[in-house]
Amino acid sequence: METQYRGAVLGGLICQLFFGIVLVAIYRALYAGKPQTMPLSHVTTYVWLQQAFFRMLVATDPELLDKIRTGAIAYDLCRPLHLYGYYYARILAQKLTGSVLRALPMLVFAALLPEGWGLCLPASVPALLLALLGLILGLFCVSALENITMAFTMRTLDPRGMQGMLNLLMMTLAGNILPLTLFPDSWQRVITLLPYAQLLDTPIRLYTGEYAVSQAPEALLIQICWTALLVFIGCTFWRTNQRKLIIQGG
Amino acid sequence: MSYISVDHLCKTFTVRKKREKGSLMREKETIHALKDVSFEIEKGELVGYIGPNGAGKSTTVKILSGILVPENGKVSVGGMTPWTDRKAHVRRIGVVFGQRSQLWWDVPLLDSYSLLRDIYRVSEADYQKRLNELTEALQLGNLLRTPLRLLSLGQRMRAELCGSLLHSPELLFLDEPTIGLDAVSKLALRDFLLWENQEKGTTILLTTHDMEDIAALCPRVMVIGHGEKLYDGGLQEMLSKYDTKRTVQVEEHRNIDHVIADMYRDLGI
Repeated sequence: METQYRGAVLGGLICQLFFGIVLVAIYRALYAGKPQTMPLSHVTTYVWLQQAFFRMLVATDPELLDKIRTGAIAYDLCRPLHLYGYYYARILAQKLTGSVLRALPMLVFAALLPEGWGLCLPASVPALLLALLGLILGLFCVSALENITMAFTMRTLDPRGMQGMLNLLMMTLAGNILPLTLFPDSWQRVITLLPYAQLLDTPIRLYTGEYAVSQAPEALLIQICWTALLVFIGCTFWRTNQRKLIIQGG
Repeated sequence: MSYISVDHLCKTFTVRKKREKGSLMREKETIHALKDVSFEIEKGELVGYIGPNGAGKSTTVKILSGILVPENGKVSVGGMTPWTDRKAHVRRIGVVFGQRSQLWWDVPLLDSYSLLRDIYRVSEADYQKRLNELTEALQLGNLLRTPLRLLSLGQRMRAELCGSLLHSPELLFLDEPTIGLDAVSKLALRDFLLWENQEKGTTILLTTHDMEDIAALCPRVMVIGHGEKLYDGGLQEMLSKYDTKRTVQVEEHRNIDHVIADMYRDLGI
């Protein structure tokens, strides 16, 4: 079992390193042809931070989905727990362990790469601290988002269709495919307000100084508002689900 | 008022079927899982709940354990309505669904149990005392460090039962707990349930298709069929009522389960 866990971590690590290097190479080629307004080192930093915390974004909890599908969730309903909170904690824990385990070695690797390839230093010490705070809020936000997907799954029973669509939205609008900082300015004004931008884009911008320290309260406030709203929607959803519930498989 | 009182309980399910050729809409069928079921159970009783497949047994158990919400009817368990006071209600009950698992597949039993201890907020002293008691009664002592996935079906069922009883529930629902068990495990399980009922005063509602379980454990049975309660009363009365054929036995044989169990023991299995 332990070998399997180590294998999974190592495999994921190598995969993310590969994607990181390929993406950085693409942006270097782009900049060689037509330099953009944003400095290249900020783009490479953006790419590395996105890759390092990739696990935080994607939804992967086959066990919970199986429970819903087969009806084993009946047992969870006989626990003296607030159900929304129970699943929220579960999602949060999985995202946290999954990303921290990968992020540390990846960030070390990216920091060792030569100038223009790797991770640049944070804009300042306060910027780093604010980015960490933003990252924690992002984690709360993404867990709330995924818990809504779970609540949906209790209705549709099979998450694949919706999860595929949501993952695509997530990858695009969270800045994993193309850094949000490279989108046209008019687009950015809208995209940065969406919940997906609150997950990783906001903390990365705080890190690189794209959002100045003076702008930080506003950015963090948007994150908090989205988290609160998503938690509220998820809670309501779970509550109505509980009333309409049927247990699959007798 | 009785400990459990169920009053005119109704529950329906809608089943959507595959569309027939030539029709535009899918056919919907409403299944009346429970039609006006009422009964009362006193504290400390051990009641068997039987009926053919699809009669509504599991639905009753799920409503009583606060999982499902019925359309109609009143239920009170120890003064609480299961589905409205779910959190407070489930703290005092234990449930075993025979064909599902509540323990974590990849981790040793002990780790699953300590997680359950935290979920139910059982104090460490109570937990240790109860765990010792249960592992002894269910013969789980040398399995505690084994992951669930390496246990046999019978061992797993005993482990599940232990998990459901760790927080010392005052009411236990068993939904086919002896499914797939060999004679030895079945007898051990029955002894244990009797002990739990008599020593701890735990109220037990047992759902099963195994009539020997019922005969060995339950002085009172309730029979349900097509969502309606058909019989409620003593087991002996029920047997003499329906047992119209008489056979005369010259030599009294023991119960076949006991014979098989002795054979297994004899062979040292």
